[in-house]
Amino acid sequence: MSLKLRDLIRKVRACKTAAEERAVIAKESAMIRTAIREEQEHYRHRNVAKLLFMHMLGYPTHFGQLECLKLIASPHFPEKRIGYLGMMLLLSEEADVLMLSTNSLKNDLNSKNKFIAGLSLCTIGNLATPDMSRDLAPEVDKHLKAGMPYLRKKANLAMARCLTKCPDMVEDFVDRVVTLLKDKNHGVLITVVQLMTQVLMIDLKNAEEEGENPFDTDCRKAFLRLVPMLVKMLRNLLGSGYSPEYEVAGISDPFLQVQLLTLLRLLGAKNEKASEEMNDVLAQVATNTDSSKNAGNAILYECVQTVMGIESEDGLRVLAVNILGRFLLNRDNNIRYVALNTLSRCIVEQQQTDDGSIPTDSANTASAALQKHRNTVVDCLKDPDISIRQRALELIYYMVNQENVESLASELLNYLVLCPREHRRDICTRIFRVVEKFSPDDRWRVDTLITMLTIAGREASRDVQSATIIYISRSPPDIHAYATHKLVKAIRDDDGTQRGLLVVGIWCIGEFGDLILNPYTYTPMARSDDPPNSVPVSITFEALDCVSVVKAIQAVVERHSCPLFIKERALTSFAKLSDRFSDKGDANALEMIQKLIKKHDMSHSLELQLRACEYDSLINACKGIKTSISKPSGEEDLFGVTGGADNGSVSASVIQAAKEALSRMPVVDLKVLQKKQSDTFGSSPMTRNADVVNNPAGDGGGDLLDLNDMFGTPAPTQNGSSGTGAPKSDMDLLTDIFAAQPAPAAASSAAGGGGYDPFSAPVPQSNSVPAGPANPLDIFGAAPAMPAAAPTLQASNPLDVFGAPPAISQPASSSDMNDLFGSTPASTGSAQTMNPAVNSGPQSVVVPAFNHEGLTIEFECLKPEVWNKQNSVLIAKCKNAAPDALYGFNLQCAVPKYIIMEMEPPSSTTVPVTGANNSTIVTQKVKVTNTRLGEKNLVLKLKVSFTLQGKKVEHMATCSGFPSGDY
Amino acid sequence: MPISFLLMVNKQGQTRLSSYYEWISMVERSALESEIIRKCLSRSELQCSFVEYRGYKVVYRRYASLFFIVGSRLSKDGNDNPENELGLLEFIHNLVETMDKWAGSICELDIMYQLEQVHFLLDEMVMNGHIVETNKMNVLRPLDLMERESQKAESMYR
Repeated sequence: MSLKLRDLIRKVRACKTAAEERAVIAKESAMIRTAIREEQEHYRHRNVAKLLFMHMLGYPTHFGQLECLKLIASPHFPEKRIGYLGMMLLLSEEADVLMLSTNSLKNDLNSKNKFIAGLSLCTIGNLATPDMSRDLAPEVDKHLKAGMPYLRKKANLAMARCLTKCPDMVEDFVDRVVTLLKDKNHGVLITVVQLMTQVLMIDLKNAEEEGENPFDTDCRKAFLRLVPMLVKMLRNLLGSGYSPEYEVAGISDPFLQVQLLTLLRLLGAKNEKASEEMNDVLAQVATNTDSSKNAGNAILYECVQTVMGIESEDGLRVLAVNILGRFLLNRDNNIRYVALNTLSRCIVEQQQTDDGSIPTDSANTASAALQKHRNTVVDCLKDPDISIRQRALELIYYMVNQENVESLASELLNYLVLCPREHRRDICTRIFRVVEKFSPDDRWRVDTLITMLTIAGREASRDVQSATIIYISRSPPDIHAYATHKLVKAIRDDDGTQRGLLVVGIWCIGEFGDLILNPYTYTPMARSDDPPNSVPVSITFEALDCVSVVKAIQAVVERHSCPLFIKERALTSFAKLSDRFSDKGDANALEMIQKLIKKHDMSHSLELQLRACEYDSLINACKGIKTSISKPSGEEDLFGVTGGADNGSVSASVIQAAKEALSRMPVVDLKVLQKKQSDTFGSSPMTRNADVVNNPAGDGGGDLLDLNDMFGTPAPTQNGSSGTGAPKSDMDLLTDIFAAQPAPAAASSAAGGGGYDPFSAPVPQSNSVPAGPANPLDIFGAAPAMPAAAPTLQASNPLDVFGAPPAISQPASSSDMNDLFGSTPASTGSAQTMNPAVNSGPQSVVVPAFNHEGLTIEFECLKPEVWNKQNSVLIAKCKNAAPDALYGFNLQCAVPKYIIMEMEPPSSTTVPVTGANNSTIVTQKVKVTNTRLGEKNLVLKLKVSFTLQGKKVEHMATCSGFPSGDY
Repeated sequence: MPISFLLMVNKQGQTRLSSYYEWISMVERSALESEIIRKCLSRSELQCSFVEYRGYKVVYRRYASLFFIVGSRLSKDGNDNPENELGLLEFIHNLVETMDKWAGSICELDIMYQLEQVHFLLDEMVMNGHIVETNKMNVLRPLDLMERESQKAESMYR
């Protein structure tokens, strides 16, 4: 025999481990199943009670479902009772057995015993399916009219369930509520009000589905007529002593009041008349409710929401916001929480409504009133409860405007210091947005951003870092000096962990290093809120000498913890400093710089090594010295070959070019910034931008940010297409040296096409100059013909010339570097070129293209460059199977926009009859670059014309047989 | 939005009573219960009584060693018609007071050993997530009458 319920519970409690408990339950389940199988009626309801307990503990109880149904059919009340309870707890709405209960439910609804009818109503209210609702609604309806309040209140909610399940029944039902609203019993009232709320929501949904105006349905109209009645009810509740038995803390039935206010909110929404009718009573609730207890605050809170949700008068709205203001001052955290929540909801809704349009006076009231409580909200930032702080923070973003930006931003910065690490990144982004949008002047903006990076440079996202750089570079020279002075100081004070600060600081020192050699004094203007007699405090930075500037960066780089990307930036910064300091007459500093750069020319990092060598050459070039590089004997002297100079000096034009490469950048076009921000920050202020940051410099634009572009300006003649490349190239240079963020962002914009896109133009360059990163020689005036010698030159790539160990092939390292020069594909490529095996046999594919009048054209497809799969060379092989030779052969090709094509002339315009050994075929070379390789395939449209036996032939064909994905 | 579930959980994280007003699978229930109680336990007295969890607004209140937890679904966009959190808090208190009156001074063991009785009480107060009755006498009187009705037939499950 199975245990008694009490014994089971006791036994389970005595279990020390979960395994023990499982064993007890398993044993008991088995017993119960046996009892069920043997139809032990006597123990049925005891067993179901045990199942309830087991169900609560999370054990399976499905085998007991039918037992519940058997119990509800029992004539005995205790069995019925436990049966219904079992049904409500154990069965889901989807359970098939549920329909079996319909008949029992119907019988019990008609029972003379009010408790049995009550059980049935309760079960319908909790479980009814659409089918059951349809069957039982008439019976439930009878109880709505019945005399007993005990059943009427349950019938209300049972009906609400039925209507939710069968929305089409709503209309028949509307009239019934009028009489119910006159009821004296609060249980009936609170349920009928909830029923009406449900009905309105169902009606709203119905109307939306049928495309009607949801605010103009019959049901709503009928309910709107009841507004005065509801208002009266609420007013009655306000008078004390009206319903002593429902009083909570001196407030009569707060639950009913809350429900009434909810219903009024639904009715008053977008309805002037109804809103006006409830205006007075809402004001009364707002002013008369005692806010010392939670119950009163619940009502006030609901009242505020209603005021905000309906077409209420301005005065009322101000009243509501003031209530929230009072809430904010409350010591109870719960109340502050709801206040902050509601305030931000109000503001969001308001921003949605006057999105773009000029805000009307009434809409403005809420936020204007909110500004009054600014200090209170700011104080919430200092609360010990993190959820309060988070809410306050949300709200503050919405409150910032031109007038208060300075004080709020400083509060945000204060909070940044306190808040947990994981939130900092997000807050930085938000501070940046605020600063960007409302900043009163350049100095303040730069000041705030630098302070932010000093606090949270570690967490600030790369977008924020690079945008800070852009803002600094855009400000007037006076600010440049100010910012750089400030940054030098910040970097010296930092312990090397605020990497964002280091990135920005090192860039600025490199760019504006010459400006900090002078002392700097700034006297802030007297502010209106300063005391009138106070003497403005001026800020002075002492002049620095060259060596100490260099040492500041050196200290950063020489820390063990210094990551590679900082070192890369530092290297660029040194290179630029060498130019800035060149006329300061400080030979020590210059020598130190060059030493620091040279230190890296044996670095294990490919990128660092490469840059160190390049910058060294560049600096030497500026001085007019040709770089002499120790190289293994027997290596081809590339400088001799390509530079055209062998006498230890370089020409004036090269010096000029090298100097230009290191000189100060032009100011960033704001469009780039805006484009970048629309890409990364999204339109919604709440957008988290974490995933955007790591957007790799993928297709198309990725390999454009290589050295070709970087040195594009000084070597305008590097290839034929530089006509378009030159004017844009200083932008490229800029973005390149900008390092951190513009690269990925711009790359993605290049992929998107359209818009302002500085990167699309140079595509042809990288097409015809394949040895991208391995091509620093261009700056020394490399012969334009060099790229043509592609195959041989690639093998002896300049990395070897610089004495790189030939066996470093570590494409993985490129991921660290990609943001310095934004050239993942390029640097991987250079690593690949070092492995000659890869380069040995270009695979070729033969694609038939054309066959007409005896002329057959096939494309032999080659990939000339292993690292750049986008480029391919198609060799058209024309065979003539016609009886006579073809004259005046002309092949024309057209390609879609994403493909860049270059054709060479055919080997001959006459195609003789092709012999058996293919001796006399005519070839023509077509170079194509598929900029969207991987997404789109190479397609060519061919037009061939020739003269055969005096007859002119013209034929068009489409060739798309290239292996997909590769071409 | 009505109440989605009501839980009574002790400080050790053992559920003492659970009532769901929307169907959640058993697996999810135990996950939800244990995660919510962990969240509640990790909060100090000073912190507010509201937690947002998996699309639910969870309102909790602690009485001695027992947590009373009410969950209400947040609407999808999180904006319209949120359940009145303070109201729910007040309702929890009302429920506890009612239970207190019913059992003299309610404790964890009372709930455990009279599980079905507490469910009956709850059914008088909440139906399908909506509040039915908040007056203690109006809840307890029918309960008492029903109990007498049951006593007529011999009670077997004790």
